[in-house]
Amino acid sequence: MFVILVAVFAGIQFIPVNLNRNSTVSREDLILYLHAPDRVAELLKTSCYDCHSNNTTYPWYNKIQPVGYLLEGHIEKAKKELNLNHFNSYSKRKQKSKLKSMISQIEKDEMPPTTYKLMHPNAVISERDKMILIQWLEKLKDSL
Amino acid sequence: MKLLKLSLALNIIFFLAFGGVSFANVKPVKSLKKITKVKEADLLVTYYLQIKNALVSDNGKAAATAAKKMSATFKSFDVSAYSAEDKEEISEIIENALEQAEHIAENSGKIEHQREHFEVLSNDMADLLSITGTATTLYQTRCPMYNNGKGGIWLSETKEIRNPFYGSKMLTCGSVQKQF
Repeated sequence: MFVILVAVFAGIQFIPVNLNRNSTVSREDLILYLHAPDRVAELLKTSCYDCHSNNTTYPWYNKIQPVGYLLEGHIEKAKKELNLNHFNSYSKRKQKSKLKSMISQIEKDEMPPTTYKLMHPNAVISERDKMILIQWLEKLKDSL
Repeated sequence: MKLLKLSLALNIIFFLAFGGVSFANVKPVKSLKKITKVKEADLLVTYYLQIKNALVSDNGKAAATAAKKMSATFKSFDVSAYSAEDKEEISEIIENALEQAEHIAENSGKIEHQREHFEVLSNDMADLLSITGTATTLYQTRCPMYNNGKGGIWLSETKEIRNPFYGSKMLTCGSVQKQF
């Protein structure tokens, strides 16, 4: 039994995973297009962009299966919900409701998710940074 | 001729069902389209009100069930009968509203989360119905407290205030703004 498990584990290491990497700069990006100040851009990149954009900075354990597939699934779902690289391609109505959800999720510590913060301690947003981020997002929402 | 007969028959049914609407000056084919349009929007209204009333009674599960049906209706919504300008606006509204309905459907255990999406859905429905029209009499009601004091609107079939954002916690907060 143990031998079979080891063999399966070894076997799945060879199945390729699609990496969420993209070298083109999107003109519809939230940070670029809507001129986020430096600190806001930094916060968004560290705490949101790994899953909600076309570029993920992968952890080392992504190379171990089945972790790689699980992450691939999470990222795909996250991007479908909100892709900050394409934020400006959304209708104004959609932008508004996305901003509303972002603010609420950050406020309530629902985002970034606990499991992600566990593996990425630097993605935890401090109370002060939360205020900076939310203030900017609110201002953007009201300007739409 | 067949079409004329059919549309006349539909007119009569429509008249009997909803009453009071005069089709005397409307061309038959046009009114046929109008009937389908209003019917589709009214189906959305039916599910919307089911979600609203479920949230009023703090029932996240019932809200999710109605939201699932509403999502399916949004997906099959036919915009072909509208003008190019309306089509674009309606498509944008529906794309956004569908996402809200899906979130309500998927979060039966998180009623506060459902309520946040319900608020966006309410704005979308108000905008949609101002284009499509509806055979149901609806009241747009506003609760000034919701959304950290920014306020939030919902649509109701009665003038009596039954607040879906707070449910039993603050059942009668709100006032009627306008009638659809």
